[in-house]
Amino acid sequence: MFCHPTHESFVGAALQRVLAGLSRADHEVRVTDLYAEGFRPELDDCERGNHLVDHRQHPELRAGLVPYIENLRWCDTLILVYPTWWAGQPAMLKGWFDRVWAAGVAWDLPAGSNHIRPLLRNIHSLVAVTSHGSSKLVNAVEGETGKRTMTRALRIACNVRCRTHWIAFYGVDRASASARTAFLERVENKIAKL
Amino acid sequence: MRAVVIVANPNPTSFSHAIAARVRIGLEASGHQVIVHDLYAEGFRAAMSPDEREAYHGNLPAVDPLVIEHIADVQEAHTLVFVYPTWWSSVPAILKGWFERVMVPGVGFVFNDDNKVRPGLTNVQRLVGITTYGSPWRYVKTINDNGRRTIKRALRLSTGWGTRSMWVPLYGMDTLPAGKRDQFLDKVERKMRAL
Repeated sequence: MFCHPTHESFVGAALQRVLAGLSRADHEVRVTDLYAEGFRPELDDCERGNHLVDHRQHPELRAGLVPYIENLRWCDTLILVYPTWWAGQPAMLKGWFDRVWAAGVAWDLPAGSNHIRPLLRNIHSLVAVTSHGSSKLVNAVEGETGKRTMTRALRIACNVRCRTHWIAFYGVDRASASARTAFLERVENKIAKL
Repeated sequence: MRAVVIVANPNPTSFSHAIAARVRIGLEASGHQVIVHDLYAEGFRAAMSPDEREAYHGNLPAVDPLVIEHIADVQEAHTLVFVYPTWWSSVPAILKGWFERVMVPGVGFVFNDDNKVRPGLTNVQRLVGITTYGSPWRYVKTINDNGRRTIKRALRLSTGWGTRSMWVPLYGMDTLPAGKRDQFLDKVERKMRAL
């Protein structure tokens, strides 16, 4: 999942290295570019009204989201590539969670319970590749919400043995060219070893 | 004193809207001038556009007239209140987008002479988050409450030293016994009256 307004960016460069790493490891790859595809991140009134309706029983309600849902069910590794804004995922990516990780896709709710059950048991590996403008310390004070959203909230909907990998570059605004290059190198190597 | 209330729920008859109505009543009773921004009703765009991304580090980071209006209101505000349902442990995308597009350099934070980030919202004295969760308290605490962290930590860092923040949560919303919702609305109004 690529989420940045433009490929001419550090995160765009990171995506290229992710793809290089995946091809070294012979993965089959599907790339979604949320901005380029014009994804609508706002969950609307109708979707909200049906948010407890199971997708498996009423697939027509989320007809426009089917390609995203298919991809989510197809993969065993999910990689999020995005810039960290306000300590978390960009609204565009948050909207993809809100809309696509729906009832009957990512979770279901057994009658009478308020604890969701995971449905994305195909996902064994969750990976974030992200850049932060500020330092690791500032992010820690701000609560590292992006990291927690992935390693806790999303992780709950995946396979019980799902591993999470946090590949983050802090202080990108002040980083030297060599530090940036080294990070991109690290991205490719880590992804190749997944 | 001015108060800005940001509401993020797509359904105009939602419980969030009922909360916002009581927030207004309470704040007006405590002598605030209240501006309510209903993000969905105003057609606020969640995603930062390529143009905005381009302009972000320039002299005029805000390009959308609606965003400029929000910035003007927030810069005059003494109190900021957020009302939203928690989805995937955090704020809805539209509210996350509000932070990204309204809290731009020069508004949410400023750069000092050493190019270090400093708070930009020193006019805001009170920060309030009011949210509903489908999950019960224990579950929210285990999974983590990223909406709360975004407002009470990330945004709090953008306000002044003396700014006080308040959290008014309603847990396990979907399985709540009858009457509890009304009690919660009364509590919200009471807290806003006391602000």
